[in-house]
Amino acid sequence: MKESPYWNPRHETMPRDQIEALQVRKLKNLVAWTQARVPWQAKRLKAAGITPESIKSLKDLRRIPMMTRDEWMQAQLEEPPYGPLLAAPQEAAIRYHLTSGTTGRIPLQVLDSMKDWEWIAEMWCYGFWGFGVRPVDIVFFAFSYGTFVGFWGAHYACEKIGCLVLPGGNMTTEARVKQILTMKATVVCSTPTYALRMAQEAKTMGVDLAGSAVQRLILSGEPAGSIPATKRLIEEEWGAKAADTAGMTEVGTIMVFECEKQPGGTHIIEDHYIEEVVDPATGEPVGYGELGERLITSFGRGFIPVLRYRTRDLVVRVPANSCTCGRTFDLYEGGIRGRVDDMKLVRGTNVYPRAVESIVREFKEIDEFRIHLYTADGRQDEIEILVEIPDREGVNADRTLVELAKSLSQAHEGLRFGCKKVENGSLPRFELKAKRLQDDRIVIGTAGERRVTA
Amino acid sequence: MKNAMGLELTESERTLVECYQGLVRVLKESKDLAPFERRNALKAVAALWQVVNGLDLDPGNLYEIGA
Repeated sequence: MKESPYWNPRHETMPRDQIEALQVRKLKNLVAWTQARVPWQAKRLKAAGITPESIKSLKDLRRIPMMTRDEWMQAQLEEPPYGPLLAAPQEAAIRYHLTSGTTGRIPLQVLDSMKDWEWIAEMWCYGFWGFGVRPVDIVFFAFSYGTFVGFWGAHYACEKIGCLVLPGGNMTTEARVKQILTMKATVVCSTPTYALRMAQEAKTMGVDLAGSAVQRLILSGEPAGSIPATKRLIEEEWGAKAADTAGMTEVGTIMVFECEKQPGGTHIIEDHYIEEVVDPATGEPVGYGELGERLITSFGRGFIPVLRYRTRDLVVRVPANSCTCGRTFDLYEGGIRGRVDDMKLVRGTNVYPRAVESIVREFKEIDEFRIHLYTADGRQDEIEILVEIPDREGVNADRTLVELAKSLSQAHEGLRFGCKKVENGSLPRFELKAKRLQDDRIVIGTAGERRVTA
Repeated sequence: MKNAMGLELTESERTLVECYQGLVRVLKESKDLAPFERRNALKAVAALWQVVNGLDLDPGNLYEIGA
């Protein structure tokens, strides 16, 4: 029998009307479960007049109140450690994890049962299998295996698929590169930033990664996995195909993945989630092809029901037929485009870190960079890009700086960017979620999100 | 046996569903399982839940039996 390219062939190729019927049925079940088990949520649903019986179609989803991270955090502060959000007693849990802490005052704390934890791996299986990972593969995880959920589910997914799993926690970058080579890993999992970091290290070690056994990279943790220039660079450095995935601790796992056709976007796992895209200011839905904020409703983790959670992720949804893989799951073109709160206003121009990265990565001679915002002369916002350009044959750093500044300015309505070369190795390196933007601007008036300085 | 979408399951699928149902029943009803029996059966149920869920049989949650 021919092997299926889909993890769940029936669901992944289901006609749209059947996907929606499935989602409505699961939504009713989720509302019933939530009402019965989570009084805090039940009160919110009751106030909105939501009952399982009142859900007739996906349009009824919009009557359910959105939930924000602030509400979640507040609930945890009022009733520590988990807030009144648990649908089962703590004794039923086998895993505890935290959000990575890039957003918000406190990390969110979550629990999973044995069944939930299997489900978390199951979602990763959609992604790994969909990108061609099979039992014969040897998978290396460049991941620190801490309380951040990160690639934990992916590790278990690979065990479930039957791969040989190499857990690369607590290792230096050099040791990781060595193990990838000596163990002849065929798949490497890391953040996009760290994939580039390992490639840099390999160069320093005099190793040709493109000649290694690695055929696939599974990227997660940052939007850069879908930035074409970054992805191209990673694929060139490794001589392998790279796939983007995106997940969040709030649901415990990934909700989108890139298939083997690499359509320039990520499929939504629509049999396990309802994803909506709304205008972040009004909450009104936006159509296919329009940028908006994604809201997630998850049918997986029963321990903490998640209904219409505001992710703050910016996406552009396109129909399933934008990809030729045969899946009927819609896609996010370009993956996660950034965060609603990522945007910085600099002298009237919107600046998104992702857009800056996509330009910086066109310059292969740049190893690392930082976006620095500051206030000049106590009154004017300035933006500068600090870059590391190692001395290599044929590289003219001064010319690169001029060309980089020109490209950035052209892409930002003529905004002036200062571009400076800094000492090699002076900028921070990241294993998880790179933080390359530093905003040191002084608060003037009320505009922008700025650091308050004395 | 039909799933919640009205589709008839194959014989192999039915067998998997029956395994799941049998395990859930044993875990709910049996008080005399040895630790190795109960904990391994729970692991199996957690895995089979994914199959039953993927086949659209709405398996619900299993927290009351510890999965």
